[in-house]
Amino acid sequence: MPERDRDQSVEQLLRRVMSHDVTPLQGACVDGETLAAWSEGSLRGAEASAVERHVAECSRCRAMMASFVRSTPPAPVPDSLWRRWHLAWAVPLATAATAAAIWVALPNNSAEPLPPVQTNARALDERNAARSSEPAAAERAQPAAPAQAGARAVRPQEEKAKVAESATNEVRQRADRSESRELSDLQARGAAPVPQAEASLPAAPAPPAASVASPAAAGAAAAERAEADSKKEVAANSAAAPRAAARQAFAPNQIVATDGTTRWRIVNGQQVERSTDAGASWTPAAITSTDALSGAAAPSASVCWIVGARGAVYVTTDGTRFVRVPFPEIVDLTSVSATDGLTATVSSAEGRSWRTTDQGRTWAAPR
Amino acid sequence: MSSWRPSDSAVTHLYQQSRADRWSVPVAVFATALERSARKAFVTPPEPRDLERLLGSLHLEDLALACACASGHEGAWEHFVREHRPVLYRAADAIDPTGGSREIADSLYGELFGLVERSGERRSLLEYFHGRSSLSTWLRAVLAQRHVDRVRSTRRFEPMPEEEPTTPARSEEQPQSRISEYIQLMRRAVTGAVSRLPAKDRLRLAYYYAEDLTLAQIGRALGEHEATVSRNLAKARREIRTDVERHLREQEHMNPSQIDECFEAVVEDVGSLDVSDLLGAGSDQPDSSGSPGGRRKDSRDKRSKERPEGASA
Repeated sequence: MPERDRDQSVEQLLRRVMSHDVTPLQGACVDGETLAAWSEGSLRGAEASAVERHVAECSRCRAMMASFVRSTPPAPVPDSLWRRWHLAWAVPLATAATAAAIWVALPNNSAEPLPPVQTNARALDERNAARSSEPAAAERAQPAAPAQAGARAVRPQEEKAKVAESATNEVRQRADRSESRELSDLQARGAAPVPQAEASLPAAPAPPAASVASPAAAGAAAAERAEADSKKEVAANSAAAPRAAARQAFAPNQIVATDGTTRWRIVNGQQVERSTDAGASWTPAAITSTDALSGAAAPSASVCWIVGARGAVYVTTDGTRFVRVPFPEIVDLTSVSATDGLTATVSSAEGRSWRTTDQGRTWAAPR
Repeated sequence: MSSWRPSDSAVTHLYQQSRADRWSVPVAVFATALERSARKAFVTPPEPRDLERLLGSLHLEDLALACACASGHEGAWEHFVREHRPVLYRAADAIDPTGGSREIADSLYGELFGLVERSGERRSLLEYFHGRSSLSTWLRAVLAQRHVDRVRSTRRFEPMPEEEPTTPARSEEQPQSRISEYIQLMRRAVTGAVSRLPAKDRLRLAYYYAEDLTLAQIGRALGEHEATVSRNLAKARREIRTDVERHLREQEHMNPSQIDECFEAVVEDVGSLDVSDLLGAGSDQPDSSGSPGGRRKDSRDKRSKERPEGASA
């Protein structure tokens, strides 16, 4: 009998043998909280092994874990090679384009810092802002042309138009690339990629995501406005209000959790603060880092991953206390995307990525 | 000195970390919650170092929120409703897309709120949360447990599924009694081989063959990549086959021809099911379709699409 047929026999028997109802007495089953802690990887040593042995034997707990897994959102699909290559060369270009657009759009706003790293959470915030407040973005773009006409009146109009058009193209390319990637990330994570739903999150009264417009969005709008102005030769004397709104658009680097109200920010490169009221107030989180922190992702209100220089990876699953996650290499990590407290993908400055699904106990080989 | 109760200084420190003051949780209440967590984790009073390690690993903010909600703090409940209630209902929908688990989620939410009286006193289910996992994960785990218990209890009262058509062509030259004997022999051999595998391998096999999880889902459950799950399943199956062959050869003293007949007997028996299969397989499967008969069909459909490496067609 060929080996393949024997394998088939074994498979058929396995379906029957494994399906047998082997359930210990009710009291002997592992309680829900212990199973939950085990599934999060919070149990250690003998306790974890005991739970694993029990679940392997007990059909009730096994079925419970199966249901539990079915309710777990899927992990993100890793980026394909071409896409990573695409982004690798696009990063410096996009940065330069954004900087140029900001410089053109906000000549008087030199004090505002630029966000150092693009993260998924940040990107979500940006897209929210771009989609939920398009009229507002257009309004914010108002000062772009006036600013050029006023503060930079010495520059010839033709040159101004050329710069604006170049910035427009580059920023548009960046926005397109960025948005397509984020959309696919979100879809992979099971997040609802419905603009209206996302826009409704940060709606109205409070400041949240809608009011924190992105440099890309505002920059693109500004550049578009500048382009239009260069064609129409619209003179400009813009009021302070839109300019203030534009300044507000460049709020400090914040990572917005998927609930829309919880936010994180990196302060002074080594400290982390958290806001649970959409940025109205901030409290410091417990993190001990001697390395410069640069990227973060917050897949939920209580989970946040932060990466930084020299292989620094931190995660919190309770929203306040960050723990250092072991990382196999000493490289400067610049960005992270995560789906929960266990699964995250970190990327280094040179474009390599590592993935963990067990909160850093193991990392997939660099790609 | 061994004790379940943390020192006052530790309580103060943990209280600050938990931000329990947001919900005006009294320090004494929080200290009691910490002690309860310690009593649950340790059978005997732990050494201070072990206690410190445990308390440091707790999800303190969630524990504080649970304390506040259990005591009826309005702000805490608003936070819970905003942050955690959606998790509960999303999980219910994911477990049973037909909406069957929504009822369980409703009931669970009622218990969390403290609608159910125990011994004449309204108590919230949140009092049973000890902070060892995050609150959201705990909610999903409790929901999954209740879902499974309900499925298991309902299954026992459902009619037996109709069997799919059996495959014909059972070998005429082999008497029925010998085929049955071979099948029983093979079942014992496979059961023994499985029991000798490490727990993780057994769990992986059970997730795949008994629970019908996909490779990706098993990967999420065990913290492995999908491809690794596939490789490990194939490896476990190879080990089982080798173990069964050795058992038949060395323990049952069968020659190669008889061993072949044993394996063939199982293949030819593909369509038949015995009562123990039905009772065993049908009683613990949280089948979202609600159709016990449909499960096997679904299972086979899935297998045809997704097979671990080296699996036979």
